[in-house]
Amino acid sequence: MLRASVEASGGHLDARAITNPSIDPGIAGGRALVAFVDAFSARQELDLRRNEVQSALGPAGLVDAAGVIANFEMMNRVAEGTGIPVGKGSLARTESWRAALGLDVFRHQ
Amino acid sequence: MAFLEHPPVPVRPDIAAAFEREWARLAGPGSSWTGSERVDMAAAARSSREGGAPSERLPDAAIAVAVRLGAEPGTMNRQEADRASAAVGVGRYVELVGVVARTAAVDAFHVALGVPLPEFPEPVAGSATARLEAAATTGPAWVPMVGGSSIVNALSLMPDEAAAQEDLHGPLYLTYDQMEDLTFRRGLHRAQMELVAARTSALNECFY
Repeated sequence: MLRASVEASGGHLDARAITNPSIDPGIAGGRALVAFVDAFSARQELDLRRNEVQSALGPAGLVDAAGVIANFEMMNRVAEGTGIPVGKGSLARTESWRAALGLDVFRHQ
Repeated sequence: MAFLEHPPVPVRPDIAAAFEREWARLAGPGSSWTGSERVDMAAAARSSREGGAPSERLPDAAIAVAVRLGAEPGTMNRQEADRASAAVGVGRYVELVGVVARTAAVDAFHVALGVPLPEFPEPVAGSATARLEAAATTGPAWVPMVGGSSIVNALSLMPDEAAAQEDLHGPLYLTYDQMEDLTFRRGLHRAQMELVAARTSALNECFY
């Protein structure tokens, strides 16, 4: 979805930022968004990172970012609790990304 | 019940409304657990993330899943899922996963915005409805599903749980239909949303 949405918008993304937050994702507000997710996960510097997202992307952007975090906290648990496999088509489409980002360490079968 | 007290920014009313519906569902009897048991599951999951003692009223296997899935979803494994399904029944296991997952969503939104977590609702008395999808079949996933193994169908053995998941999914992220729109824009544009989703999943060690 990430790669497809970047391609649909005609933009560029450095996907390594997904697993390496020191890398600039290359999309507007990307650094602030990644730092916000990291702060949420670690429960550290959340006020600072929240303010950075609000400054970069506005109040509605902050609400959307919190909403997406919340949704994927839910969906990750549904996926991990029910053991849904990733489809063969998705695996084929994402092979190069998975290898580059080291995502194959996560369960997907 | 207080949701989103004194948020730092205005929150869309559809999000607060979705949380109110979720808490009403949580309090009431589910398909295979009572309201009291559902609230206990949610409390066990929250305590695993935020501290506190989990309920001692649930079966041990249910508490174990609520704690693991609540705090470290990426460590969940088939053996534990199978053990819990055998102990409490697969339908009850699926409902447990749904309750724990949605509680995580409600809590996460509050934590992300820096507002206090909402208190759990008072359970509503009543018997479980025993509503279960008889057409669900066993496939490559760990639990039976209707319509193939996918994240949208993951809880379909228990239709009320699948509907509850969809009810939160729209306000927090996108409706299932909106997911087709790769140029969707609200407070964030779609690529920004997907970056947040991908980083969240990576930190949860979740391939999804």
